Amino acid sequence: MTDLGTETGIEITNLSFGYTKERLFSDLDLTLRGGNIYGLLGKNGAGKTSLLKLICGLRFPDAGSCSVLGWEPRHRPAALLEDIYFLPEEFYTPPISADLYRQIYAPFYPRFDAEAFREYLGEFDLPSGKRLSELSYGQKKKFLLAFGLSTRCRLVLLDEPTNGLDIPSKSQFRKLLARAGEEDRIILISTHQVRDMENLIDPIIILDEGKIIFQQPMYQVTRCLQVEVQMDQPSGDGVLYSEKTLGGYVVVRKNESGEETQLDLETLFNTVIANRDRIQELFVQEHMKVQEDMKVADDRNSASGDSTGGLA
Amino acid sequence: MNSFSIRRLAMLLRRDFSAGYKSVFIAMAAVGGFVIMVSVVSAFGRGLGPIHEKMYYLLLFIGGYIVTSLTFKELHLNGQSVFYLTLPGSSLEKYLSKLLVTSAGYAFGSLFFYTAVSSAAEGINRLIFGYGHSFFNPFERVMLNWVAVYLVTQAVFLAGSVYFRKLAFIKTNLFLWLFGIVVVILVAVTAWLIFRDYAAGTRINLEPYFQRLGESGEMQAVLQPMAEKFGQVAKVLFWGVTAPVCWLIGYLRLRETEV
Repeated sequence: MTDLGTETGIEITNLSFGYTKERLFSDLDLTLRGGNIYGLLGKNGAGKTSLLKLICGLRFPDAGSCSVLGWEPRHRPAALLEDIYFLPEEFYTPPISADLYRQIYAPFYPRFDAEAFREYLGEFDLPSGKRLSELSYGQKKKFLLAFGLSTRCRLVLLDEPTNGLDIPSKSQFRKLLARAGEEDRIILISTHQVRDMENLIDPIIILDEGKIIFQQPMYQVTRCLQVEVQMDQPSGDGVLYSEKTLGGYVVVRKNESGEETQLDLETLFNTVIANRDRIQELFVQEHMKVQEDMKVADDRNSASGDSTGGLA
Repeated sequence: MNSFSIRRLAMLLRRDFSAGYKSVFIAMAAVGGFVIMVSVVSAFGRGLGPIHEKMYYLLLFIGGYIVTSLTFKELHLNGQSVFYLTLPGSSLEKYLSKLLVTSAGYAFGSLFFYTAVSSAAEGINRLIFGYGHSFFNPFERVMLNWVAVYLVTQAVFLAGSVYFRKLAFIKTNLFLWLFGIVVVILVAVTAWLIFRDYAAGTRINLEPYFQRLGESGEMQAVLQPMAEKFGQVAKVLFWGVTAPVCWLIGYLRLRETEV
């Protein structure tokens, strides 16, 4: 581990971790790069919160390595903490006013943007003079979100950020987060409320049985999977997942036609969990196909480059 | 690795102060009121002994140990622990900020505060009764010696505050009792092994032994220098080793704390 703090992403390799002798994670690998809003999905007890805690140094791995922005988080170096903002599901707000909170805590974050903070508070319609302890749960959460995004930290970890937010606040949250994405910033959101995160989180990471079983950008998902609604009960090998709804059956198949359809996160999650091996195989095949296409295109380009060179 | 910065330490101290200043003021008001009341009642009853030294002793040691035991409370509370541990600052800075506040900060702060309160109390006594207790002198040698003892012994409670999730003050006291009992047992067993020839039942009568040493001159030549050496080692252990060892234990525990 370099501990130099110069790298920009998260590299987790062969990580093992557990609260008891039974492992929660074993040989977990994960790579995250800046400029993305990752969505971390998983069943209850899959270890989403534990993974966030391992990333920000609140839990230590039993084996394997975890590098965050070039630092080893278990040492909780100040330089790393200046670049991480973690909003847990069970959070704490000191009994002081929003203004005083900013005065006391903003100096801990060297890139804190006071102007953006004021703007976010306004957008969330939050009072700045009131004591934080007097705010409702949702208001407190919005305050902390506004503060966290204003810190300009390169890594923002949000655990169930939309829990407790009212309907207007959820859409404000989505707008705010979409704007907050920066080139070198990683936003990692762990959530069960997938409908709140629709069209926001991309790529999608699915954690199950101690491993990352799925990590794909949405364009890859729509390229590989096709969803349709049909009245009859689907059958056949091509069906990866189906679910009875009021309007008929929602059916997920391999995308053979190349036509892109909108697959919602809930259906995607259920498809991956129900059919993890086939889905993995499908995405590996797609990846290899893309690689081959790129190679062919490269060869063609270099061949045309050679001929051009020859002509010249 | 950038694990220490004066700027961050100052920010942590400011944060601790802003989080706790109201409780401090309430405690000061309560203690101040109590001191004035005791002083006036005592003067009214013509009890004019040196009450301020005794009361300061209680404030310094009992108050200081309780304050120290509570200092890392946020480390053991859900939500607050995440907030505290992810606050940008190294474990060293976080530990130092708490150490400074509860050791030198508390000792000298309480000395200053008690001087002011006791002076006010004695002023009131003299106004009402025309007499009072002797004024509290913070520069007396014995006061400064107490402060030094406090600075060493509070390190044990600081380590206890990091170590114990709940009831840190009581558990640290229990630990000290247990530690004391273990030391006494070890000393007793060692004494028994060395002087078992002088044992009669469960009692050891060392009079014949000392008599023999006195007669042979060994008492002066061997035993006294040995006892002096032992005293010096005990002093070094107390003044030079106790606090650093406890600080190290507390710091390592803080560094290794998981949520």
